Amino acid sequence: MPQHQISMVLDLNKCLGCQTCTMACKKLWTDGDGMDYMYWNNVETRPGQGYPRNWDKIGGGFEDGKLRPSELPSKEDYGQTFEYNYAERLFQGGMQAMPQEEVRNTPNWDEDVGALMLGENYYFYLPRLCNHCTNPACLEACPRKAIYKRAEDGIVLVDQERCEGYRYCMKACPYKKIYFNELLGKAQKCIFCYPRIEKGEVNACAKQCPGRLRFVGFLDDPDSAVHKLVHVYKVALGLFPEKGTEPNVFYVPPFNPPRTGSYGKSVLEDPRMPMDYLKYLFGDEVVDVIRRLEGELQRAQSGGASEVLQLLIGRDEHVRYQIPKHEQLIQIGGGHKA
Amino acid sequence: MKNRRDFLKLGALAALGASIPGCRKADKPQLEAFTGPLDPLRAYPYRGWEDLYRKQWTWDKVVRSTHSANCTGSCSWNVYVRNGVMIREEQAADYPRISADLPDYNPRGCQKGACFTEYVYGPQRLRSPLIRAGERGEGKWRKATWDEALTMVAGKLLDNIYQYGPDTNTFFSVIPAMSPVSFAAGSRFAQYTGGVFCSFYDWYCDLPPGEPLTWGVQTESCECADWFNSKYIVLWGSNISQTRIPDAHFAWEARYNGAKIVGISPDFNSSMVHTDLFLSIQPGTDAALALGVAKYIVDNNLYDTPYVKEQTDLPLLVDKRTNLFVRAEGSTDRFFFHDAKTGKRHEAPGSMGSKEKTIALNGADPDLHYSDGEVTTVFELMKQKLAPYTLEAVAQTTGLALSDIKQFAHEFATRKPAMIIHGAGLNHWFHNDLINRSLILLVALTGNTGKNGGGFNHYVGQERVWPERGFKAYAFPEGAKKQRMQNMTLWTYLHSSNKDPHLYNGKPIEHYIEESIKNGWMPLYPKKRDQKPRALIVWRANYLNQAKGNEYILKSLWKDLDLIVDLNYRMDTTALFSDVVLPAASYYEKSDISTTDCHSYVHPFNKVLDPLYDSKPDWEIFRDLAKKVAQLAAERKLAPYHDQQFDWRRDFTKTYDLWSGNGKFQQPEDGANFILDGSPETKGMTFEQLKQHPQRFKKIDEEAWNSEIEEGRAYTPFQHQVDEKRPWRTLTGRQQFYLDHPWFLDFGEQLPVYKEPLADSAKYPFFWNTPHGRWSIHSTWRDARYQLRLQRGIPICYIHPEDAKARNIADNDWVKVFNDNGSFVSKVQILPGEKRKRLTMYHGWERYLGFLQGGWQSTSMIKIKPTQLVGGYGHVNFKLNYWGPTGNNRDVRVDIVKYTPTAADLQTIRRTGKGKA
Repeated sequence: MPQHQISMVLDLNKCLGCQTCTMACKKLWTDGDGMDYMYWNNVETRPGQGYPRNWDKIGGGFEDGKLRPSELPSKEDYGQTFEYNYAERLFQGGMQAMPQEEVRNTPNWDEDVGALMLGENYYFYLPRLCNHCTNPACLEACPRKAIYKRAEDGIVLVDQERCEGYRYCMKACPYKKIYFNELLGKAQKCIFCYPRIEKGEVNACAKQCPGRLRFVGFLDDPDSAVHKLVHVYKVALGLFPEKGTEPNVFYVPPFNPPRTGSYGKSVLEDPRMPMDYLKYLFGDEVVDVIRRLEGELQRAQSGGASEVLQLLIGRDEHVRYQIPKHEQLIQIGGGHKA
Repeated sequence: MKNRRDFLKLGALAALGASIPGCRKADKPQLEAFTGPLDPLRAYPYRGWEDLYRKQWTWDKVVRSTHSANCTGSCSWNVYVRNGVMIREEQAADYPRISADLPDYNPRGCQKGACFTEYVYGPQRLRSPLIRAGERGEGKWRKATWDEALTMVAGKLLDNIYQYGPDTNTFFSVIPAMSPVSFAAGSRFAQYTGGVFCSFYDWYCDLPPGEPLTWGVQTESCECADWFNSKYIVLWGSNISQTRIPDAHFAWEARYNGAKIVGISPDFNSSMVHTDLFLSIQPGTDAALALGVAKYIVDNNLYDTPYVKEQTDLPLLVDKRTNLFVRAEGSTDRFFFHDAKTGKRHEAPGSMGSKEKTIALNGADPDLHYSDGEVTTVFELMKQKLAPYTLEAVAQTTGLALSDIKQFAHEFATRKPAMIIHGAGLNHWFHNDLINRSLILLVALTGNTGKNGGGFNHYVGQERVWPERGFKAYAFPEGAKKQRMQNMTLWTYLHSSNKDPHLYNGKPIEHYIEESIKNGWMPLYPKKRDQKPRALIVWRANYLNQAKGNEYILKSLWKDLDLIVDLNYRMDTTALFSDVVLPAASYYEKSDISTTDCHSYVHPFNKVLDPLYDSKPDWEIFRDLAKKVAQLAAERKLAPYHDQQFDWRRDFTKTYDLWSGNGKFQQPEDGANFILDGSPETKGMTFEQLKQHPQRFKKIDEEAWNSEIEEGRAYTPFQHQVDEKRPWRTLTGRQQFYLDHPWFLDFGEQLPVYKEPLADSAKYPFFWNTPHGRWSIHSTWRDARYQLRLQRGIPICYIHPEDAKARNIADNDWVKVFNDNGSFVSKVQILPGEKRKRLTMYHGWERYLGFLQGGWQSTSMIKIKPTQLVGGYGHVNFKLNYWGPTGNNRDVRVDIVKYTPTAADLQTIRRTGKGKA
């Protein structure tokens, strides 16, 4: 077990689907060669195909304590990365500007689509990043033991020097949050912005989120918002808990408004979004979370006070992020590839 | 790998399993078996590599700037430079807190701002002056020096002035609030050359005409932090999660704080997912819903009686025979109510003609329900008008569930404070003024306007220049009276082949236009009707791409103009279709300031790097243009031009002297400081100081605004009226719902009513809906690669699954959308949340990207509503952007068919052979 576990809680009732987190991460970390198709943080519309396409259906994770690797998603599953002929159209009098190939699939292909239940549309946005699991399948799968969990904060990293690009990790991850850089021959993934965390600054995806839906802190810090949301108020759940990796990224589950003509009914009674779908994502526990959150919302909207909702408002950075500065900086130069 | 193309090929090869040196395949790896006690779950000794990413998060300098695309966001960003290259940006996130209870404004910014650096260096960036070498829009250019380009432009402008008149030179730049110094550089030039300056807020259909009509203001909304103070927020035609990205959080946080959030929109859009109640309203029927709620409020006595008596015109007396206000003998602007206390008629204080400059009733008690043989009250007339809007009838009209709207009506009437956040989904209809007025009636009846957490709040378009006094003095130094101002909707309609076939009370719109011009209500340039506009100069705007009636304009106006000049940092559609393109500095390469309706702060643009390539800030371009005009005027020995309209003897050899304020303005920072120093909001601030962090305004200009700025309190408008009883800026001195202008009476619109969307294209079954979306700010970012990769790469329109099935259309098909005005071909996406019988395309796609034919405005036509041409009525007079015909577009109807690409189309799609532009 690491000494501490850094963690994130995302309130899905505040997500705008704006993809600012995606762009923040892209510009900071995955703007380099070989990384075009990677979105260490992505936002997908749910229900939907997700990114990479069908990642939630193909496997990965553990079953009865054993790794159950999936096939690798295809390049097409990650979506195309378009390039355009602007110089030709705008400056040389050439043909209409178009992507370099016909459009077939993109990382956000089914944005805002969702599904229909009895004629009424439902959906929500699900931002995803590496879950920096307590029992990472990727770490377990790597024959080189080149994936490790930092003792001081539980961040899971792929050693960019020792990785040889076997990609067992990619098959093992149930969330398909490790990517392969074909140019470098390395597996790459979300690093939980450790260079920022070490300096007391929160992840770019959190800091830059205009929806202000992310809470970041140490799960074992009883004063942190994440601790309270996960362990005290118990309103935040991990994705696909049955995969056995013990994710450390949690979600406050989403509501959708009532169906036409059902205003006033409980979301458990006549929901727009089927509860089965939320159970699929978060496990059976989600029903109780939804029930309690609905009660809190009713209390607040009737003039009462709700502690957990006041916390979820997240009025400023001090409420949302509790990142103490690291006492010790990491030893540099001490250890390299073996 | 030297470039991206090589890399892409590499990727394809790897996918095929080809053997590439340095890359591994997972199938048959050479395992370097790891024996030893390494347990990476608990400890790892080889962490030296971690410096790799630490080094990536480093920079040499960071400079604060912002973006000006007219998003109403006005977000302060930090831009990071390493090795002389801008590598990324991040929200500065340092807007000072207003109060401990209100969530703060941080981080302010969206995914588009988060990669503006792509444009700075991107292939669309304009790097040198260009002069057209082929046809307009073809994209063939020759490079020119600045001197050659400016000489050409200045020369032509002078030619036009002396040959055809100064009003044949037309200037179009929008929304000063987003970069007032850049705006004013051109408006000063226009003023000193006698050119015509065009409106934009109305042309873009973002002006809510109901605000000048009811309140005598252009637009006044609460700052977005005030949403948190509300207990009932109605998102009405406003998709805040897509269009108010930096501010939407205040609504979702207000919900946790005890507000109920209602979403009213035909489609189940990105904001509706988080509401407590979603009303999927039939498009264009919103006024009916509002009036149904108004009737409910009136019938159940749920209106705020003291507020209504004091703050609205509802108690005022109207003559039953003439339907005109009862006015004092010989006056146009003095009105009466019946005082219940004395039983007598009492002059209403605070009207435009009243001696009393207050609306305080001082003990008088207006009788809202007075009626005798001759006169009655506006309130009683309103009650009669509301009679048909029973909730049952409204449910029929709107397609909503009766139980839902009953609860909505009751909650709106009883939860306080309540506010409406009003968006383009309502404002872009032909009858936008009626819709606005109906909604404003609701917040007035319930006493919600002028209260924190309440009101009718509209943010479509970054129209609020908070430091207005200093700005106006800088932008039009000789005053508005010595500037040719033009409503752009009218100008474009009359100077293009747009021709509305609809008859209004049996007459064509041209009848009303000519009446309006004759009466001096709406100006028209060129004044001589046989003259055509000769030159058009556009900066900070994409006029052509965004114009309603696009296909008509391309065939007429765009052929008739002699000279089209565009200042821009990127080659947008207007630039592409211009004659002279002048490369402007990007948002990160100039000095300016930014304000917005959404918050109460000012913050700067700074030069992260000096203007790249051969670009110059707009300000310098106009400076040099002014110098060039002066130089040419001297060389050509031009006699001063007597501008008769203003009795102004214009010596053009003095153009630069005048433009620079006789040398006072040597650089844009001088302009910024002039604005800051000249406005109560910002007096004492300097441009240099703004670099620290966004600054909250200190006071307000009472001539311009209607509430104070207070520390610790979010700004909401009209507190002068509601708290201090100052008159409203209207004819009656009150929120005015009764408009007895003859044209309003002719059309039965003296009170707000519901009118159906225009039906003159009944043969086309789909509403054509072009809302603002998250992926662009109008046309900016529409061609940005990182944005496009998170969409579907090219323009798409949306259709409901049932409608698609009926037309045999599948997801990702090519489709043709068409009506009598024009057509376009794009791809389609099936969207279950879309409304039946409506097609949506988020707006602003550039013509040059992805369409096989046409563009997003190909199916629209300019429609002018007769009543929006009026003037000479108290507070209803033309003033640039305050009042004038709006460029509505939601009443357009189209049809859609599956489209099979031709062989030439396929060449275009696959970028092979010649293809076509």
